Amino acid sequence: MTWTWFHRLGSPPYVYALAARLTPWFAWPAALLIAGGLWGGLVLAPPDYQQGDGFRIVYVHAPSAWMSLMVYMTMAIAAAIALIWRIKVGHAVAAACAPIGASFTFAALVTGALWGEPMWGTYWEWDPRLTSMLILLFLYLGYMGLRAGLEDTQRADRASALLAVAGSVNVPIIHYSVTWWNSLHQAPSVMRFGKPTMALSMLVPLLMMLAGFTLYFVALLLVRLRGEVLSRERAASWIPEVLKT
Amino acid sequence: MSRFLDMGGYAAFVWPAYAVTFAIVFLNIIWARRALARSRAEARRRLAMRAESS
Repeated sequence: MTWTWFHRLGSPPYVYALAARLTPWFAWPAALLIAGGLWGGLVLAPPDYQQGDGFRIVYVHAPSAWMSLMVYMTMAIAAAIALIWRIKVGHAVAAACAPIGASFTFAALVTGALWGEPMWGTYWEWDPRLTSMLILLFLYLGYMGLRAGLEDTQRADRASALLAVAGSVNVPIIHYSVTWWNSLHQAPSVMRFGKPTMALSMLVPLLMMLAGFTLYFVALLLVRLRGEVLSRERAASWIPEVLKT
Repeated sequence: MSRFLDMGGYAAFVWPAYAVTFAIVFLNIIWARRALARSRAEARRRLAMRAESS
């Protein structure tokens, strides 16, 4: 097996050009999947036998929560790769992830509150799942604050990467919080071993939304990554070339 | 149609949840594009400064 493709991913001009070329290939399928998932979730899926039409919040809540965790894992893995192998592009990926992850953690908390009020009778409870999600939001905000506070990009990269890697202990805590502790929050019905516990007509739109949001994240990341790569390469000879288009 | 909008009495919770999520979806597109445009403008400025000083 040759590793040239991996080494090329460490080369900024190659990454910049590749990211530009790939973006529409993720953005358009994402838009189609999300549109299909919305139609399926809001119109085709039957009301839940316990929660009525209130359960339809799942089609925005679960993708937001999935984004918050998946983006964090991407950020932590990219940061770890950058720290261990000193690959600058890794820092660029991690920095590009943070604002996306923070905003969808916020969306997960807000949509969760809007679901909690009619079903549990409260917008907020200091519950293990809810509290660990709030900590995730603070981790993202801390990461962004740390980067903004350090003038020197190299120092900001290293310090924020350490925070991202250390903070990844929170991810399994969030996932297993509903099994380890008594939580108001229901146990996973899709992200579990074995069969999902949902009717197919409800499940398919949810899977479309989850896939659509994942592709949408990749498209966003590719756009942001170009900016991050560009601002890290102060005097490279390839920059005038890419600025022409 | 009005039955659809009513969401079985859950309209006050379902629609704000969708509105917040999709506001964030669209804001992220704007923010990402703006971040890239800012980096490109900065890189242009640096190039121009270097051309002047040399």
